[in-house]
Amino acid sequence: MQRKDAAITVPKPNLKREIVRHKDVYLLLLIPFVFYIVFKYVPIFNAQIAFKDFRARDGVIGSAWIGFQNFQDFFNSFYFWELLRNTLFYSFGKIIISLPVSIILSIAIYECTHYALRKTVQTLAYLPHFLSWVIMYGVLFALLSPSSGILNDIIKLFGGTPIDFLSSVKAFPWVVLLSDAWKEMGWSAIIFIAALMNIDVSLFEAAMVEGANSWQRVRYITLPSIKPVIVTVLLLKIGTILDAGFNQMYMLYSPQVYSVADIIDTWVYRQGLLNFQFGLATAVGLFKGIIGMLLVLVSNRLVSKFSEGSSLF
Amino acid sequence: MKRLLSLLLVALMACTVVFAAGGSEKTTAVNADGTVTINLWYGAAITEAGPIPDDWVGYDILREEHGIDLHLSVLPSNESDQDVRIQAAAAGNSLPDLFMVSRPVLTRLVDQGLVAPVDDYYALMPNRTAQQYDADSIAMSTIDGHSYGFASPGSVAKNEGLLIRKDWLDNLGLEVPTNLDELMEVMIAFTYDDPDGNGKDDTYGYGAYIESDATLKGYPGARLFPILGAFGVDGLWCLEEENLGLNVYKPEFYDAMVYIRQMCEEGVMDPNWLTYKKDDFRAAWKQGRFGIMKEQNAAYAAEANYAPFDANFPDGEWIIVDPPKGPEGLASVGAYDQNYRIYAMSQDAVDAGKAEKICELLEWMSSDEGYFLCGWGQEGVNYVLDENGVPVAGDLGDNAFSGTQGQVYTQLRNMVFYNSDTELASRYPTYTTATSGKTMSALTALREMQSKYWTAAIGSGQMPTPNADVQRYYEQSLAEFLSGQRALTPENWQAFLDQFNAIGGADWNAQGVAYAQENGLVR
Amino acid sequence: MAEATAKKKERVHLKPKMHNSTVRPTRADKVFQIVVDVFMVLMLIIILIPLWSTVTLSFRPNTYIGTYLEGMFLAPWDWSFDAYKALLGNNGFLMAFTNSLKILVGGVFCALILTIPLAYVMSVKSLPGRKILTTIVLIPYVFDVGMIPAYLLVQNIGLMDHLAAVFLPGAISTYNVIIMRQFFDGIPAELKESARIDGCSEVQILMRIVMPLSKAIVMTIGLYYGVSFWNNFFNAMLYIQDSNLNPLPILLRNILMAAGMNEYVEVSAFGNAPIEAIKAASVFMSAIPMVIAYPFIQKYFTKGTMVGAVKG
Repeated sequence: MQRKDAAITVPKPNLKREIVRHKDVYLLLLIPFVFYIVFKYVPIFNAQIAFKDFRARDGVIGSAWIGFQNFQDFFNSFYFWELLRNTLFYSFGKIIISLPVSIILSIAIYECTHYALRKTVQTLAYLPHFLSWVIMYGVLFALLSPSSGILNDIIKLFGGTPIDFLSSVKAFPWVVLLSDAWKEMGWSAIIFIAALMNIDVSLFEAAMVEGANSWQRVRYITLPSIKPVIVTVLLLKIGTILDAGFNQMYMLYSPQVYSVADIIDTWVYRQGLLNFQFGLATAVGLFKGIIGMLLVLVSNRLVSKFSEGSSLF
Repeated sequence: MKRLLSLLLVALMACTVVFAAGGSEKTTAVNADGTVTINLWYGAAITEAGPIPDDWVGYDILREEHGIDLHLSVLPSNESDQDVRIQAAAAGNSLPDLFMVSRPVLTRLVDQGLVAPVDDYYALMPNRTAQQYDADSIAMSTIDGHSYGFASPGSVAKNEGLLIRKDWLDNLGLEVPTNLDELMEVMIAFTYDDPDGNGKDDTYGYGAYIESDATLKGYPGARLFPILGAFGVDGLWCLEEENLGLNVYKPEFYDAMVYIRQMCEEGVMDPNWLTYKKDDFRAAWKQGRFGIMKEQNAAYAAEANYAPFDANFPDGEWIIVDPPKGPEGLASVGAYDQNYRIYAMSQDAVDAGKAEKICELLEWMSSDEGYFLCGWGQEGVNYVLDENGVPVAGDLGDNAFSGTQGQVYTQLRNMVFYNSDTELASRYPTYTTATSGKTMSALTALREMQSKYWTAAIGSGQMPTPNADVQRYYEQSLAEFLSGQRALTPENWQAFLDQFNAIGGADWNAQGVAYAQENGLVR
Repeated sequence: MAEATAKKKERVHLKPKMHNSTVRPTRADKVFQIVVDVFMVLMLIIILIPLWSTVTLSFRPNTYIGTYLEGMFLAPWDWSFDAYKALLGNNGFLMAFTNSLKILVGGVFCALILTIPLAYVMSVKSLPGRKILTTIVLIPYVFDVGMIPAYLLVQNIGLMDHLAAVFLPGAISTYNVIIMRQFFDGIPAELKESARIDGCSEVQILMRIVMPLSKAIVMTIGLYYGVSFWNNFFNAMLYIQDSNLNPLPILLRNILMAAGMNEYVEVSAFGNAPIEAIKAASVFMSAIPMVIAYPFIQKYFTKGTMVGAVKG
C-alpha cells in the first residue's frame, strides 16, 4: 500500500503542500467518511464472528476463537463445487445476457426517431423492475406451465410435446437468465441512458460531414463515449460475482432442479440463517468478498492496460 | 501520507471498537408508575391485516388491573422470516420478554442460554394450564428434560380430507374408488373422458402441490398422503415399534413412488403439480381442473373459499371419501401430529424478575375476560352471543370480529384459542351458498374428515431435523425419481439410499430413532 | 476527450436532434432506423406482457374461470375493483404508506448529501490519497458480511425502532458512488481548473460547476436510492419492531405470503377479492410513487447537456 501511494505522488514532489492545497476537499469528505467507517467498517469488524464460536451472551469480542472451522464446513459441504459452479454460471450468464441487452436497449431508445415510441418504451421499460419475484413467478408460470402455459400451447399447436420449463434441468437455467434480463433490462438501461445524454452531439455532426452512416456512428462514437460507464458497471458486477440473485432463485427453484439451481446464497440461507449458524453465514460472506476482490483487482489491471480512464482505481 | 494513513487507521479502530462492543442494557423490572413492561412478539391471526390499534381496551385493563404495560410487536407472516427475525434479536442478545418461536429455533436458543426454563411457572397459571397445556403440549416445548416455553394448541388436528368430485363420478357413471386400482381407473376417466362435459380436454384426475417439511410432511408432501397412506408410508417418520425410523427406508415407500410415477406417466396427475404454489393449487380446483385432491376443511368449505367454486360450478359437488386401500389393505388420509405454537420467555426477562407478571398476563388471557377480548373483541361492539353462547357477527357489519374494521382486535386470538367447540362453532358457521343454495359448513366437513382413518405421528414436530445438505439430497432425489429425470428402478433406488446414508441420512435416522425412544414417542 | 472539448469550443449552439436531419440519410441509415424501430416495438411487446398481465390480474373478479392468457383479454366491463377497494380499505395500508414516504424522503435526502461529496472528492484527480480512498470505499462493497454484523451495529448505535434504521445502513451505496464518480470524471477538467484559478472553493465548484452539469446522473442515482429504500423489506423486518412504524414492503410481504401461512383460512382481511388480484394490485399500489416520479426525472435526460454548459 505504502509503496504504491508513493508512486502516484511522484509527479507532485511536495506532498505536504498538496495536502494543504486540498484541505477543503478533505473537509468535504469528512461527514461521508465518518459515516462510511461507522456503517461499513464496523460490520466488517463484527465479521470476526466468522472465526468464532459466536455466542450471543458473550458478544462479538467475548466469543471464543475457533479458527477456520466455519470456512472448512463450507468448503467440505457435500454440494460445495456444485454450488460454486451454479453461482458462477448464473453470475456470468447474467452479465453476458443482461448487460448487452440493456446497452442495446439504451442505444435504441437514444437513436429512435419516433417520439411517441421512444417515450413509451423509456417510460415503461423500467417498470418490470417493480414486479417482485412472487409476481414474476405468476407471470412465468402462466407462460411456461406444462398444462396451461402459453408457450406450451404454442408448442402443442405445432405438434410438439409440452416442456415443463420450470422443473426441467435443461430449461431451468435459461428461464432464470432470460427472466432476469426481461425484468431488469429497462432498469439497468437507465444508467446508460444517463451516460448517453452526456455525449457531445457535435461529434455526430462532424462524423456525418465525414460521411459516416448510422451504424458507424454507433460503432465509433456512441459506444466509445459510454464505454467508461459500461466498464465501470462491468467491474462492479464482477466485484459481486458470487451473488447470483437470491430472491429470484429462492422463488423459482424447486427440488427437482436443485442440481442446476442451488447457489451459494440459497444454501447459506437454508444452512446458516435458519439454523443459527451466523458464523458460517459470515464466513461465506467473507469468502465471496475475497473472490470478488481478487477478480476486481485482476480485471481492473486488465482494464487499465487496455483503456485508460475507465479503471476503478 | 504515512501520517494520514495512520490517522485513518486510528479513526477506524476507534469507531469500530466503540460501536462494535456487544452487550445490551438490562431493562429494569418496574417502571416509574409501578407497572411492569412486557414486550411480546406475537404471531398475528390475520397476517395481512393491520396490528392491534393503540385504543384496544385490553391495554387499559392490563395496566390498571394487573400493572402490566404491554408492548406488542407482530412477527412477520412467513415462517422463515419469523425465524430470521428471532435469531437476529437473539444474536444481538435482545430477545423480547415473551415471543413466539418455532421448535428448531428454540433448540438453538436453548443452546445459547437465551431462553428460560418454565417448568415451575405452569403452577402460576392453573386456569390456562388446564385449558391449553397438557402432557403433549409440554413435551413439545421440552428440550433436554426441561420445558422452555409454553406450547399452545395450533390448528385442529386431522383437519384435511380426501375430496372427490361427486358430479364427475355421476356424469361418467362411476363409483367412489375404494382401492388404488379403482382410483387409477377413476383418475384415467376423469382425465380422458371429459367428466365436465365441456368438450375440451382440460381436466385431470389428481391435483396436488409440493407441501413438505423436515419433520412431519416428508417429500413429496402432505397432498399425496392418501396415496402414500395406502402403502403405509405417509409421514416422514414411522413411529411404530417395529418399523421405527424414516419411512423412506421401507420397501413399501418404493412401491408408493412407483404408483405416483405411474400417475404421472398416465397423465392423470395435473402436470403443474411440481410447480404449483398453494394459491395456484387452490385457484385450480375452483376452476375445475381436477377431480380428486386432499384439502383442508376451511379452505374447502368456508364461505369465502367455496364461493368462487359455487359460482363457477353450481352443479359441482365435492364429497369427502375414505382413503383408498393399498395392496395390503392399508389406508390413511395422512400422518398427523398435534400442532402447537410455542411462546418462550427470554432469560433476560426472568433475570429482570418479570416471570410472574408474564404468567399473570397469560393467565389473564385465559380468563373469561381475556379469552373473549383477545378472541373476538368487545361484546356488543365486535361480537354478540347467540342462543348457544357462541360469539357471532350478528349485524355488527365491518366492526364485527370477522369484518374489516373489527378483525384487527382479534390478532391475539392464536394465544387464547384452544379449539373448543364454542370456537369452532363461531369460526365455522353454517351458511347457504349464494348460487346453488347448498347448505354448507366447514365444521361438518371437519368432523367428517376427522372421522376417517389417520396415521398417528404425534411428536413428529419434535424430531431432529437434518442439515441442509441431507435434506436437499433427500428431496432432490425423490423429485428426480418422480419427474423421470432418474429412472425409478430398484437398482437406482438402492443407489439413492446408499448415498443418502453416506452423506448423513443414516445419522439423522439414528438420531431420530434414539430421540423417539428416549421421549416415549414410539407407539 | 481532448478532441471533444476542442470541437465544443467551436460550437456556439446546438439542438439535440440536429444530427438526424442535416445530412441526407443513406441506405444504411434507413436500414438502421428500421432495425431500431423494429427492436423498440419488440421490446415494447416484451415489456408489456408481464405488465399487462399483472394489470388484468389485479382487476380479475372472484369468479373468473379460464387461463391466464384469456385473462389478459378480459373485457374492461368485466373488471372488478374489489382488490383495490380491499387494499385501500385495509387499515394498515395508509399507515404503512405514510411510513414508507417518510423513509423515502429522508433516505434520498441523506443518501444524496452523503454520496455526492464522496463521489466528487473521489473524482478530484490531483488529490493525495485518492487511491487509498477508492480502496477504502471499495472494500465494503465486495465484503458483504451479512445480516448479523450489521444488526449488531444498528442495535449498538441505538437506531432500533427508528425509521432511519431502514435507510441509514444503505445511505451510501458504493455502487452508486462509483457510478456517480464515473460521471463526474467525464466533466472536462479544465472547467474545474479555471474555476479554481478564479478562486472558487471546492464546495463552490461542486455546487456551481459540477452539479448543474450532472442533473441526469444525480436524478438517476436519487431514483436508485429511492427505489432501494422504498422496497427495502429486510431492514424493516429486522430493525422495526413497533408495528405502527412498519413500512409498505412489510405489509406487502404479509399480503404476498398470507395464503402460505394463515391457518385461519376462513377469514381474510380482503373480503371477496381473490388473493391473486390482491397480490397484483398491491404491487401496483406500492409502485405508484416511483411511477409518478420517473417522468419528472426523465425531463433531465436531455441530449447534449454538457455542450451548452461549457459554452454558457
